Amino acid sequence: ALLPYVPRVPPTALPGKVTATTFALEMPCCVFDGHADASDAVWLVVAFANASDAFRNPPSRDDVPLYQRLPTAHSYMTLETAAAAYACPAPSTAVLRVGGDTACGGQGGRDPCNGPLPSPGPYRVKFLVMGCHGPKAETRWSDPILLRRAASPSTIDPAPARRDSAAVVVASILASLGAALAAAVLGAVGAEVWESLCRRDPGNGPFAHRSYRTHHIPLALPQPLPPGCRCSPPGLGCFAPRPPGPCPAK
Amino acid sequence: MARSDDGIRILQGLLVFGNVVIGMCGIALTAECIFFVSNPHGLYPLLEATGNDDIYAAAWIGIFVGFALLALSILGIVAVIKSNRTLLLVYIILMLITYAFEMASCITAATQRDFLTPNLFLKQMLERYNKSEAVNNNDKRMTEGVTKTWDKLMLQSQCCGVQGPTDWQDYTSAFRTTHSDADYPWPRNCCVMNAQGSPINLDGCKLGVPGYYNSNGCYDAISGPMNTHAWGVAWFGFAILCWTFFVLLGTMFYWSRVEY
Repeated sequence: ALLPYVPRVPPTALPGKVTATTFALEMPCCVFDGHADASDAVWLVVAFANASDAFRNPPSRDDVPLYQRLPTAHSYMTLETAAAAYACPAPSTAVLRVGGDTACGGQGGRDPCNGPLPSPGPYRVKFLVMGCHGPKAETRWSDPILLRRAASPSTIDPAPARRDSAAVVVASILASLGAALAAAVLGAVGAEVWESLCRRDPGNGPFAHRSYRTHHIPLALPQPLPPGCRCSPPGLGCFAPRPPGPCPAK
Repeated sequence: MARSDDGIRILQGLLVFGNVVIGMCGIALTAECIFFVSNPHGLYPLLEATGNDDIYAAAWIGIFVGFALLALSILGIVAVIKSNRTLLLVYIILMLITYAFEMASCITAATQRDFLTPNLFLKQMLERYNKSEAVNNNDKRMTEGVTKTWDKLMLQSQCCGVQGPTDWQDYTSAFRTTHSDADYPWPRNCCVMNAQGSPINLDGCKLGVPGYYNSNGCYDAISGPMNTHAWGVAWFGFAILCWTFFVLLGTMFYWSRVEY
């Protein structure tokens, strides 16, 4: 019997619902009521999306393709569960995780293995109810489920998107302050050196200073007049007296 | 002349005050840089593994510059009060050297901050976390540092990955080569732990059921302290340098006015 239920990945936002090797499915609660007895087993058929049309339900439990046959048969069946687990009322928030069992699958055993999926797919799944005499009911195939493909970390570019303008401002202001200080120091020290050089060099330019030696000039005291001199101004020498000359004619 | 005497006195007072402020800022700078260098958030291994820990070099320079500023400010106060030309000249030259070092530290801290992008830490986390083979001893030490830091970070800050747990799904990693995707879609420390240190619901954690795993990325917990560190060194140093610029200009003017 073909049931109208379509298995699907839960719509809730769970970051782990599809990973690189596993995916999660909503639990098919209350789907098989009336089509399956409590003793029947519900299997999950997982097939590559392009091989799902070619899948034929196995006639008995012994013909069930197991996990190890996935590479060759392009499909397998897993998650064998008693139909009673999906009966109403059931925990509706639970999910089924396909590929979550890493401990199985290596030994080639007969038990159904829920091992990690080897490739990203895409895969299609459906539920199949197997009774003692073969398949009894099945759901529709799901939409293709594509697993995650991880990129290599070498594709990550760690370079910053753009230079922060504050850093440029800080750097430029500091550089200009430093340059101004250096210029000021050089200028001040240079001016001092220039001035001290000019002070040592005599006779050149308007800043030269001549050094003077002061002479002590002795005062000239008035000499006593020799006798016979009269009324002559000092320093002019001395004249002997002469009789007055004839008076000029009137 | 009384007026220029007054002017010189005022300038002396200003310079002494300026040097007191420089001395106190020097102590504060040293304290701040010692705090950063002591790696209080335990994030230094991440920075070291990026191969570019210049903001730590800037903090180290800041420690010594702070001491130098304190010593030089005392010298400056003595020189200004004694009006000794030689001491003032020594003070100016030494201050210039300290200025140059602090400029270098400031510019380094300001420009290196841009370098710390989320992609940088993402790439480093994917390539180094739980890496099993090491090229040499140095590589091994850095890998162990990164792994321990991430483990501690994810537990303490309740976060996973750089931008979220999907980082572990979007990219292959060194972690992925040793831990299968089905068992470990993301590292165990991304799961919410109970008091004994084990996940409260491992299946819920693997699926990403809210409440059983850490959904935030760790980038805020990493970049927050590192930005504080870089900006603390850069801006405080910038402020000190602006103040010191004016004090130095005043000291040079004072030096040119002092008679022999």
